[in-house]
Amino acid sequence: MGHNAPAVVNPEGIADELRALVGADLIALVEAHDEITLIVARESIERVMVKLRDEAAYQQLMEIAGVDYLDRAERFEVVYHLLSVTRNHRVRVKVSTDEATPVPSVTAIWPVAGWLEREVYDMYGVIFSGNEDLRRILTDYGFSGYPQRKDFPLTGYVELRYSEEDKRVVYEPVKLAQDFRNFDFMSPWEGAQYVLPGDEKASENASEKKA
Amino acid sequence: MSAETLEQAGKAAASGKRTVTVGNGAGSDIDGIENYTVNFGPQHPAAHGVLRLVMEMDGEIVERCDPHIGLLHRGTEKLIEHKTYLQALPYFDRLDYCSPLGMEHSYVLAIEKLLNLEVPLRAQYLRVFFAELTRICNHMLNLGSHVMDVGAMTPNLWLFEIREDCLNFFERASGARMHSAWFRPGGVHQDVPLKLLTDIGEWLDTRLPRLFEDAISLVADNRIFKQRNVDIAVVSKEDALRWGFSGPMIRGSGIAWDIRKAQPYDVYDRMEFDVPVGTNYDCYDRFMVRVEEVRQSARIMKQCLQQMPEGPIASLDRKVVPPRRAEMKSSMEALIHHFKLYTEGFHVPAGEVYVATESPKGEFGVYLVSDGSNKPYRCKIRPTAFSHLQAMDFLMKGHMLADVTAVLGAMDIVFGECDR
Amino acid sequence: MGVELERPATGRVPAPGTQPDPDFFKSLSDEVGNKGFLVTSTEELFQWARTGSLWWMTFGLACCAVEMIHVNMPRYDMERFGAAPRASPRQSDVMIVAGTLCNKMAPALRKVYDQMSEPKYVISMGSCANGGGYYHYSYSVVRGCDRVVPVDIYVPGCPPTAEALLYGVMQLQRKIRRIGTVER
Repeated sequence: MGHNAPAVVNPEGIADELRALVGADLIALVEAHDEITLIVARESIERVMVKLRDEAAYQQLMEIAGVDYLDRAERFEVVYHLLSVTRNHRVRVKVSTDEATPVPSVTAIWPVAGWLEREVYDMYGVIFSGNEDLRRILTDYGFSGYPQRKDFPLTGYVELRYSEEDKRVVYEPVKLAQDFRNFDFMSPWEGAQYVLPGDEKASENASEKKA
Repeated sequence: MSAETLEQAGKAAASGKRTVTVGNGAGSDIDGIENYTVNFGPQHPAAHGVLRLVMEMDGEIVERCDPHIGLLHRGTEKLIEHKTYLQALPYFDRLDYCSPLGMEHSYVLAIEKLLNLEVPLRAQYLRVFFAELTRICNHMLNLGSHVMDVGAMTPNLWLFEIREDCLNFFERASGARMHSAWFRPGGVHQDVPLKLLTDIGEWLDTRLPRLFEDAISLVADNRIFKQRNVDIAVVSKEDALRWGFSGPMIRGSGIAWDIRKAQPYDVYDRMEFDVPVGTNYDCYDRFMVRVEEVRQSARIMKQCLQQMPEGPIASLDRKVVPPRRAEMKSSMEALIHHFKLYTEGFHVPAGEVYVATESPKGEFGVYLVSDGSNKPYRCKIRPTAFSHLQAMDFLMKGHMLADVTAVLGAMDIVFGECDR
Repeated sequence: MGVELERPATGRVPAPGTQPDPDFFKSLSDEVGNKGFLVTSTEELFQWARTGSLWWMTFGLACCAVEMIHVNMPRYDMERFGAAPRASPRQSDVMIVAGTLCNKMAPALRKVYDQMSEPKYVISMGSCANGGGYYHYSYSVVRGCDRVVPVDIYVPGCPPTAEALLYGVMQLQRKIRRIGTVER
């Protein structure tokens, strides 16, 4: 029977129902791990959400997550998780965006979206048009950068200490006593190229010989 | 009363900004009466951690309430992306530090769902058993601090005695009082001795009901306690849905939604228990829902004890679960597996899942995105307190300053989880 | 087959298990009985008094805060040692920094510390407060609360058990007895 994670049973014909409901705004519908994901057009997110809430009875917005795919043209994905307490079903809605393009806010549909969008903005810098209170929420007052982006370093750029001269806490560039140890576990047969000392010219010689 | 609370809030406020706005603030148009801005926290004994509330007051009435969170933002999600799946597990203990195993539960189930890994029956029972013990442990802290926030001291002392017992049981099972890291992908870390199970069984029959019912009888029908909680922060069913409530908060609003019942995981489908709901949708209902949940948890634990079979406590899939130490002494293969699992870790097939379990505080979800490597590509944690705390402005509007502590207490927020 | 090292001179520290010197107590009680008073230096008197009433500031930040509450609850009952929790920094002598100190919280921590009256002591509880611990490499965590406030006692653990914190408080009492007021 496989895993023991919460058993969410997809109602009969749910995929077709959602397809018909979302209509032309749907880019793709993915079913994997018994979970349904709707990938929709960014501009239509508000319309789709209203339909899902009012016509398909997904009453609750549980979560908005951002994901960063560095190699895509529209690098950010904003992932909404909806829950229906009456149908006992969950559905995931995704839109994608980049640094500059705003995503329409869903705060008018669910007030809970306010903070969830603030968090995505704080962590990824995704802008939500229509969210009137789009301040930073989790990071420090006066923080710069978007920490969850894949190109943001784990240790950040500044660290903090109390300065006896200034009588206040001051920010300084990060200086680590020991760097974060990151091991490369790719096996040498398939992954990283390790060049042994003295072997630098081995490959060159080999190619010369062939020639 | 209010002057004292005000003074306390002001004094203990660390960044003691107690500004009085000049001129008329929102909501008052009488000359000479000014709106206050009161800063509550970030260091305040009733703030349950490091909450900072900036409240605009019209006299004693809260006009607007802006919670500042993130004072315990530790970058957990970023750190998880840099650790292997197993190394990231203890971060979940430290999210909601009042109910560590409840957090681990979501995470291990998410990994197992991606791996499609089956867990042996005994491990499932053990998980449910200790998850419910965690629920009792968490509710002891919350109920105790709730009554303490509204002025009763004694019950807290007794309820902490129960908590102390729970922590001892965790220590006997895993070696750590609080942060057990005992649920592992594929099962649990190690088996429990029979004596521990019999001891907990005896504790459930004798000590827990005695201490718990005694302590609760002091406040449940207490006039002062009721005056502080009944009809405070009433949330209708519609509002509870719109604000993304879950757990005791949504049940306190009269919706019998419990993930353990609706979407059972592990062996919850074999358990018999009731889901308590509120009828007046106020703080007192939320309190009583938790009280009843403790009794139901004890009931589940007793059923676990009766039904728990013998058998392995973790999956035998050696690509995920490390072998026993004894096995390593004789088998070369076991030794290699052990080495690989504790250095490189296991690889999880690419995909994404959202797994939510009923943690003591509500729906605790993990949205796990894997790219096929040994580290999570993205692990978004869905905290319970985040949505609840957001509703603070909506809940507090028109209430007195002294009600803030009652509402916060009934909300059961923990900042490790809220700020991550 | 280790080398035989000479035992370090123990000085005034008695071997473990030694009973207190009965003659000392007898002479003390005789002195009080005969004269009705005792002679000591004010410094020593103050130090003795300080160790007996270490009111601590509840600076609970994260997980360790729970253990900090536990040490104050009936099972461990820290008030036996005269250590009572205070919510206000003005009234407290020792601050227990219990939990991860984050960048956003650090100015507030310093502010609370500055508000405490002299003499003041700081106990850093748990590996996060000691040096960042499990969150050392995070972008938002102060790598040890000693970067912000001077620390007297470090209690290791993640989180330290209630007993460990109790031991830490006793160590602080010992430190106060031994070196008196710390000039800062």
